[in-house]
Amino acid sequence: MRPLAQVLEGRKVICCVGSGGVGKTTVAAALALSAAIEGKRALVLTIDPARRLANSLGLKELGNQETRIAPELFAQAGLHPRGEMWAMMLDLKLTWDELVERQARSPEQARAILTNKLYQTLSTAMAGSLEYMAMEKVYEVHTARRFDVVVLDTPPTTNALDFLHASDRILDVLDNDAMRIILGPMLRAGKLWFKLLAAPSAMVLRTLARFTGTDFLRDLADFMIAFEGMYEGFKERAARVKALLTSPEAGFVLVTAPNPLTIQEALFFHQALREDRIATAAVVVNRVQRDPRRHGGPDNVAAMREALMLAQIKDSGDLAERLCTTLTEQSMLADLERREVERLSRTLSGVPLLIVPRLRKDVHDLSGLWQIDQFLGGQ
Amino acid sequence: MDALLDRRLLVVTGKGGTGKSTLSAALALLASRRGKKVLVCEVVARERVSDFFGRPPSGPTIRQLLPNLYSVHVRPREAMHEYALMILRYETLYKLAFENAAARYFLAAAPSLAEIVMLGKVWWHATQEMERGKPRWDLVVLDAPATGHGLTFLSVPAVFLRLVKEGPLARDMRGMQSLLADPVRCAISIVTLPEEMPANEAIELDRALRSGGFPAGPLFLNGFFASRFSAQEVAQVTRGGPALAAAGEAADNHESRSELSAHYEGVLRKEIPRELLRVPFLFDRQFGAQSIEKVASAIAGSS
Repeated sequence: MRPLAQVLEGRKVICCVGSGGVGKTTVAAALALSAAIEGKRALVLTIDPARRLANSLGLKELGNQETRIAPELFAQAGLHPRGEMWAMMLDLKLTWDELVERQARSPEQARAILTNKLYQTLSTAMAGSLEYMAMEKVYEVHTARRFDVVVLDTPPTTNALDFLHASDRILDVLDNDAMRIILGPMLRAGKLWFKLLAAPSAMVLRTLARFTGTDFLRDLADFMIAFEGMYEGFKERAARVKALLTSPEAGFVLVTAPNPLTIQEALFFHQALREDRIATAAVVVNRVQRDPRRHGGPDNVAAMREALMLAQIKDSGDLAERLCTTLTEQSMLADLERREVERLSRTLSGVPLLIVPRLRKDVHDLSGLWQIDQFLGGQ
Repeated sequence: MDALLDRRLLVVTGKGGTGKSTLSAALALLASRRGKKVLVCEVVARERVSDFFGRPPSGPTIRQLLPNLYSVHVRPREAMHEYALMILRYETLYKLAFENAAARYFLAAAPSLAEIVMLGKVWWHATQEMERGKPRWDLVVLDAPATGHGLTFLSVPAVFLRLVKEGPLARDMRGMQSLLADPVRCAISIVTLPEEMPANEAIELDRALRSGGFPAGPLFLNGFFASRFSAQEVAQVTRGGPALAAAGEAADNHESRSELSAHYEGVLRKEIPRELLRVPFLFDRQFGAQSIEKVASAIAGSS
């Protein structure tokens, strides 16, 4: 079986993970394209606020809605997919709102939360919020069964654990026993809450209030009142999201660049996945420099001069020197990157390793993505 | 460059993987060479700058890397501890209030409290004065988180002040806000690469920073390939037969990258009203002090 097919086989959810700037979005889009070509209905879901996917698909705008990539674009690229390729960009705030509306016990409760001052900040500014909502959206799309495969381009999280444990962290915020105890008197006291600050038992409350002022604590208490009774539903749903991501239906693809730092991050990510009993489906090393010296040829200035002379190319200046410098630079880079890839491959024995060479041009359209698919397919 | 290094706080921001740490280290090195006492603050998950200079990680305590050049790794937990102690003064009170499940909650719930205390610590370093009003640091260089997070990071005081209007944190946030808006004391730089996505993100980041009223520092175009061959030379060598196949491919690779560099330089100059400084792509087997030297002399020379 070809490596790419091996990655896609039987997977309904594919998460592309890795550090920022390695080409995750491009790889995610290329995987979705490949699935579409093979006859699947594929959705690529991207999160990045910088709208990278819109760029790489030649789209101007990408809402929170599923948008089908126009068949004309495929035709222009000389591609004839048997399936369909769709794309969606995650709107963080909207996804939160939808989740609250779905989980609220009544429209009143939903409204109380959605209009809460703290909720509006929390939903967009809280660390891990983006990661949590990305997984939530993947789950939602997956369970609606409108697509055969959903490819997720994850946020450029530097820490793998931030991604995997985002829902735990957010849920801890939504319902925290300790905080409930501290804010308890406030929750019950209604409008006379400030009198409580004088009570000896409110020492912790008073200490916290010294940092944030009492208004914030009041807002926090309001928020917790509004959220009352919804926590269980959230928790249950988060557990199902996690179950999906750890099931054989889901696959994690680690994307990395061939430099020591990002490879370090990739290995770290792989380890974190393993600790959560998630297998890495494949590793993609993107933009690998090919060694021009594989063609042989002169390797010093004198020999280069002679080769130029034989080819009747006029060396009007230092052409031979410049060519040798350039060869040395690229060869060294290729060598450096080869060692890194070897190190990665040794550490990840058994995980399919897919190499995409550095292409002459930036990938920003379907034909570029298709070119990447050719390399992912091991062709 | 002199005017830039005369600021009190330089923030280096940009997309992940563009070389923010490298530029932070190079700027700090330049300033330290000019006799300034410089502190590099790293707020990302893993510190890098100490390693560039072949030194062990600084961690949460300030360590000297070179004459006049120091670094510190600002992490939320320790920053919170230090900050809370400054206000509470008693360790037992701190433990009672912060070393419990509620504090964990609090760190997550208060809007970006982790970022607040980290930024607070950086601000404290940048404005810290010794006796007789002489600043402890002539320059603080902040190696900021990547684009999305970086912008969130710098907007933290404004977001926080919308929710919290009283208390010592609010007071400090006002101080931070005014430092981050002061073109005399502060500059925010952007690092990018000659590639489509990083260039687009730099353009968006520049707009967001300018509309947020942050004083603009230079734009560093990192990984720059300067043209080395004429189109005719590439064409000739590429067609020069098997003996020149390697040379032809190398020349063609180089020129395709230099074309991209020139193209994105044009785009960035057109879209971003900042001084643009090129930083050459480095072919270094080991990325270390010598690499930082090269970057430093490139940015010192091109201004």
